[in-house]
Amino acid sequence: MITRREFNRLAALTAATAVANARAQQAPAPAANVPVGDGITWDKAPCRFCGTGCHVRVGVKNGRVVAIEGDQLADVNKGLLCVKGYHVGLALYGKDRLTQPLLRRNGVLEPISWEEAIETIAQRIMAAPEKFAIYGSGQWTIPEGYAANKFIKGGLSNNHIDPNARLCMASAVTGYLSVFGVDEPAGCYDDLDKCDVLIMWGNNMAEMHPVLFSRVIDRRTKGEKVTLIDVGTRRTRTSEFCDHYIEFKPHSDLAIMNGIAHLLIEKGGMNAEFVARFCNFRKAPKDPAATPTAPLMGDAMTFDEYRAALSPYTPEQVEKLSGVPASTIKMLADLFANKDLRITSTWCMGFNQHSRGTNANRLCHGIHLLSGHFGRPGDAPTSLTGQPSASGTAREVGTLCHFLPGGRMILNAEHRKESERLWNLPEGRIHPKIGHHTMLMWEKFCTSADKGGDIQTLWVQVTNPGQSLPNLNKVFKPKAALPDKFLIVSEVYRTATTELADLVLPSSMWVEKNGMYGNSERRTQQWFRMVKPPGEARDDCWQMLAVARRLHDLGHLGMKDKDGKFLFTFKNDKGEEVPVWEWPRYYEINVDKSLFEEYRAFTRYKHKDLAPYNEYVKARGLRWPVVQQSDGTWRETKFRFSEFDDPYVKKGAKIQFYHSTTKDDKAQIWFAPAEKAAEEPDVEFPFWLCTGRVLEHWHTGTMTRRIPQLHAAMPHAYVEMHPEDARGKGFANGETIVVKTRRGDLKLPVWYDGRGHPPRGTIFIPFFDERMLCNELTLGDIDPISKEPDYKKCAATVMRAAVNP
Amino acid sequence: MSATVSRRGFFTALGHPFHPTQRRSQSVPALKGGAPGPGDRCESGAPSQDRDGLAGNSASALTAIIQGRFCFALTSFCSVCTERCPVPGAMKKERGLPMVVPDVCTGCGICQEVCPAPRNAVLMMTRRTAPAPVPV
Repeated sequence: MITRREFNRLAALTAATAVANARAQQAPAPAANVPVGDGITWDKAPCRFCGTGCHVRVGVKNGRVVAIEGDQLADVNKGLLCVKGYHVGLALYGKDRLTQPLLRRNGVLEPISWEEAIETIAQRIMAAPEKFAIYGSGQWTIPEGYAANKFIKGGLSNNHIDPNARLCMASAVTGYLSVFGVDEPAGCYDDLDKCDVLIMWGNNMAEMHPVLFSRVIDRRTKGEKVTLIDVGTRRTRTSEFCDHYIEFKPHSDLAIMNGIAHLLIEKGGMNAEFVARFCNFRKAPKDPAATPTAPLMGDAMTFDEYRAALSPYTPEQVEKLSGVPASTIKMLADLFANKDLRITSTWCMGFNQHSRGTNANRLCHGIHLLSGHFGRPGDAPTSLTGQPSASGTAREVGTLCHFLPGGRMILNAEHRKESERLWNLPEGRIHPKIGHHTMLMWEKFCTSADKGGDIQTLWVQVTNPGQSLPNLNKVFKPKAALPDKFLIVSEVYRTATTELADLVLPSSMWVEKNGMYGNSERRTQQWFRMVKPPGEARDDCWQMLAVARRLHDLGHLGMKDKDGKFLFTFKNDKGEEVPVWEWPRYYEINVDKSLFEEYRAFTRYKHKDLAPYNEYVKARGLRWPVVQQSDGTWRETKFRFSEFDDPYVKKGAKIQFYHSTTKDDKAQIWFAPAEKAAEEPDVEFPFWLCTGRVLEHWHTGTMTRRIPQLHAAMPHAYVEMHPEDARGKGFANGETIVVKTRRGDLKLPVWYDGRGHPPRGTIFIPFFDERMLCNELTLGDIDPISKEPDYKKCAATVMRAAVNP
Repeated sequence: MSATVSRRGFFTALGHPFHPTQRRSQSVPALKGGAPGPGDRCESGAPSQDRDGLAGNSASALTAIIQGRFCFALTSFCSVCTERCPVPGAMKKERGLPMVVPDVCTGCGICQEVCPAPRNAVLMMTRRTAPAPVPV
């Protein structure tokens, strides 16, 4: 066993090496640079945490992960990691790992066998397959998400499956789809190395994507000039590094972007040639209910109509709406008007968790297209993801209630037919009606059957909705009073979700299983199992396959394809079928590889071509489309739609949006008005409440709060206030106060002059702390197009706690 | 008016001991002293060996030093020590990097306790000269 001291030395050694390399910007050092002694074996894996997709090298000794270092061969992080990444190995070793299945009997979770657990789930599904739902996440590996999607849509003819990406990336998806006709960014992280200007829209990159931000800061250290602009509603660590911090009134970001577009047109900054050749104009449809895709297609508008629609957004008017000085709006417009500059925009939850999130995404794409800042390295509008495989699993595999794999839609008969063909299912197996999206699914689950609550059994994997859903008192907590509802949770630790679970399944995590993730820049990554899970914990994918097999044995016809074969039939190298639903035989073959190779066939339709599994074993991830060359090698694509890099662009086209919604190879520039937020501060609730993350904790903190170093660095949640607001109320720094909204109240300590600096009239609470659930306060008003809730804006009030805890 | 909570008190009140499942109603074992693991630096939030090795004297005889090569702020972003330092003016940040002002530092060691770097970046050193009085 390695001692702590040795571990620290190793970690420090490797950290120092990585640091030296990153600072010097040398070519990546050979892998031989890592320590190899002491019987440690090393292998590669993407980090478990965020959507950046850094690669780590994992050191294993005596069946335990004992060391982590940044992978110098990885393009994404070049050996560097953030504070969470360096400690990622410890996420496996919290003392309270779940090690056996637990069933709630008389209110208490009691250990049961795996056979009982699988049988219980199978019986619940057999009783009412149409009232069953799966809630997953962008933390599902690609094969796990694919298996779940095939099981429920192809097996149970039920589309009630949605991931927590609905709470996170859904507005980015509808943004990309309605502008380019196909999801995910055209650019990649290389833009960060090439841009002259980086605009972060409501995006605290220094805390949320620190490794990406350090790529940019590093360029400055080398003497390059990069202008950094932070457009936000609260001063953050990112703002400290920025040349311009532009603070706007919450929800007025659409006005700012309209103001920029207006000036581009009126002051001659528009790239007329680019727009004429590559763009159309679009607005919200007259009748959004006319067809299911009407909100994404929109109605055509002429340039003159577009120009007229923007005319109210003069700099002076935008200043009134947003609080941003007219001169600053002009400064931004001048930057976009400068064709010699390369401008990259990034955003994350600021745009997406927005009750006009789709429109915010569209307008940002719009100013890039209007000014022609698109399609050259460094010129790109790029959304960043928060989950390690939000792109790879949720968006590409399509584990959403309206998608089929590879960008296909449930509502499209051709797409259903194609999916049935690829899955070898009888025609008509896939249900033509879309399932419940996240918010609706949980609302239906938390409503009794006689009042229309048509979800009876809900299986949660790899996420923690009991903490992350907005307005928990409405969409999660009522479950406790509904005895006929059955909540199944596959987890690694006890969480706010397992508190209400009827059945808890212990899962393997990260390098305890094989896996594949897809990061923000279309990069698909692979890793192998390196250590065994604790106790009786088993892979999420195995759990799904075991239930499918049990249903098959119970006679559920959906578990068979049209030739009568089980949906998940896998063969070994000798061509013999392997019963992988028997746990001891699950790793007899590489189930991930089998599922991935099957899934690959789905990916070409939207030109998201993936390479064979073995290519990902060799690489530190590859960015799709990955296309085979005449010499047999596989080439990734960095810049989509640009002739110089994307093999699917016609020769001579320069730029081609080959999935254009208007079928003319053009992208859509949308007009969307600035609108009021669903709930704004008033006399009774005078503060804006914003929620978010902190650097040290990832998502709901179930992993990072069990890592001592991260816990010590950020031990609990707090409410950030402007010092003058706090003093006006007589709050001492650190005093426990009550934050109240129309949905609930919460006690927590106030912190001013701390990490973030909200302006007067705004408060901020991080959501990682399960002891202080800020989502009991949030409103969760959804974007009408993406169905993604707003976590960043609602009205709150603060008061002294009557009795201090 | 309620009593002022010190900056130290702010983060220690709920921070220690380590109880990720504090709100749980059921039989989850309390995680006294933090989760064990390969890189488990300190068992109860106590300062690590560097401090013990040098701390022959009382706390006031010590001062903190940030070892730049181990500090996260150098390659990534971190401000935990400056945020949590309980002594006004004892730490400052220059272009994102934390610095200790030795004349003001009282040697309390909180910065070392909270430093999340794989190799703790804070070294507690014996002072060469007597500390200056803490400004009121």
